[in-house]
Amino acid sequence: MKSEILYPGAFPMVRVELEAGENIKAESGAMVACSPTIDIESKMEGGFLGALSRKFLTGEKFFFQTLRATRGPGEALLAPTVPGEIVILELDGVNDYMVQKDGFLAGAEGIVIENKMQGLSRGLLGGEGFFILNISGKGMLVLNSFGAIHKIELKPNQEYIVDNSHLVAWSSTTSYNIEKATSGWVASFTSGEGFVCRFRGPGLVFIQSRNPGSFGAWIRQFIPVSE
Amino acid sequence: MTTMSPNALCFGDEFPAAGAPCLVQVEEHGLTITFASDPADGQPESVPYSSLAVSAGGLDHDQLVVKWAGEKGERTLYLKNPDVIRAFRETVPSHLSLPFAQAAEQVRQVRHRRRLVWSLAGGMILSTVLGLWFGSDILVEIAVSRIPVEWEQKLGESAYRDFLSHQEVMKEGPAVAALGEMTQRMTAQILDNPYKFEVTVVKSDVVNAFALPGGYVVVFTGLMKKAESGEEVAGVLSHELNHVLQRHGLERIVKSLGIMTVAAIVFGNQQGLVGMMKQLGVELFTLKFGREQETEADLKGLQLLQRAKIDPAGMITFFERLSEKDEGRMEWLSTHPMNAARADRLKAELAALPKKSPEPFTFDWKQVQVSLGSQPVVAP
Ligand SMILES: [Zn+2]
Repeated sequence: MKSEILYPGAFPMVRVELEAGENIKAESGAMVACSPTIDIESKMEGGFLGALSRKFLTGEKFFFQTLRATRGPGEALLAPTVPGEIVILELDGVNDYMVQKDGFLAGAEGIVIENKMQGLSRGLLGGEGFFILNISGKGMLVLNSFGAIHKIELKPNQEYIVDNSHLVAWSSTTSYNIEKATSGWVASFTSGEGFVCRFRGPGLVFIQSRNPGSFGAWIRQFIPVSE
Repeated sequence: MTTMSPNALCFGDEFPAAGAPCLVQVEEHGLTITFASDPADGQPESVPYSSLAVSAGGLDHDQLVVKWAGEKGERTLYLKNPDVIRAFRETVPSHLSLPFAQAAEQVRQVRHRRRLVWSLAGGMILSTVLGLWFGSDILVEIAVSRIPVEWEQKLGESAYRDFLSHQEVMKEGPAVAALGEMTQRMTAQILDNPYKFEVTVVKSDVVNAFALPGGYVVVFTGLMKKAESGEEVAGVLSHELNHVLQRHGLERIVKSLGIMTVAAIVFGNQQGLVGMMKQLGVELFTLKFGREQETEADLKGLQLLQRAKIDPAGMITFFERLSEKDEGRMEWLSTHPMNAARADRLKAELAALPKKSPEPFTFDWKQVQVSLGSQPVVAP
């Protein structure tokens, strides 16, 4: 399997070349175009309940698609829904990543995707909901972000504070605490926002340069409201 | 070097931040670490047990962290492969066995807790599925009706105390007395009241008031300064009291977390409970009620005012005035969007109620406002 990012920047695509018999899991709706040798199977990763729980608890789409080069080698073009960068990681069986619900674009056959329940307080305040994706296994993992993607490298015990709505993915060797961004209670209960994650290394944290929630709010002000 | 499958990640200054994949072998004298990316002549590194320190780490504290001072600086190994951890446990010498046992216990506890959490999650999924079939509101109502009031008080109280500890609380004076009188008049009219309402005046120019589950109510002096009569404040207070009486906060919590999670919070391990309650407290403050809940609190609030012989017109005029003005910090509006329909519904409801002659309060509202340091508002 070979992959390449086309048009890097705000509107990228990934080209994945599959050998005969190889397959790749992709977020449903990510497939833009493919060779006629490739079949698309909609498969419920993690069984019915797994898919259902993803649907309800992470808001993730019900299905992942499996693109399989059934009739010989071929290629597929994949793209995310939102404008933003794509990053390709290579998993080697020991480095796991936690991926925020919208951050997953595609993964090689050897990639294992599981829903992971976060601690109650993390789920409540982290803004990513109670479930995130725990991605492990071996092979290529493709992530996408809203805006540009930025990698933060943390040495053991090194700390970094990230606004939770900018999180895309982080390695499972990091740990984090949720903290209130503002010191005043009144500010946080009137605005209902302002939580940050204090990450502690070692490991990587990928963040996105735009906040989808804020962008949505910005868009909404232009939409006429009917009572 | 033949292909090896790494079973651990090693961190250190000369390695990439993501960690270097490596193969850890447990031997009699210590650990042997072979790096996947070593050049062909790279020698596996051997570290004696005597120089190791162990702890638990990682996102959920479920990984075994082994540290030592290597020749090229400090090295940190993250292990989660159960086979390696088992082999490590079986060969570990005595000086490490105590910290190892502690780390292992921590890992075990996390795994145990995760199983518990998963069964809770199963419950949530099941109730979501059932909710789709039976209409989730009915399910929520059933769940809420089974939650004892003491749970609700536990949820609300810690958030309330924590909130107040950060605020300037008004302990006495005409404003406190006035609110006390309003509360007294209204609660006397509530049959089988399971709540012991606690109403606190907080000094702040914020125009707001809120009620937490369990009967904990906060009124800001900013709201009292904006009101032109005691009856207007009583209107807001009655509305907030009815959010508590109708258990609206609990309904929202159960709706968003699931009944099992609420149980976990109330019965959760004591250590985690305090922090969790504090953090949940934040959630309680950001709680927005649904439109139906607001309407219910309005209508029941109006009826309560009527029973307490407090002129309900105050509630309506205050709501109307709040909806007209948008200057200043009208925080109550952010959780209580006002519109003409809302006041009209109350007017219609009031017209349908039997006329009662209201009894005035014993305090003079203008004096209460003067005590708050504001110039009395001249009624139009
Ligand atoms: Zn309300």
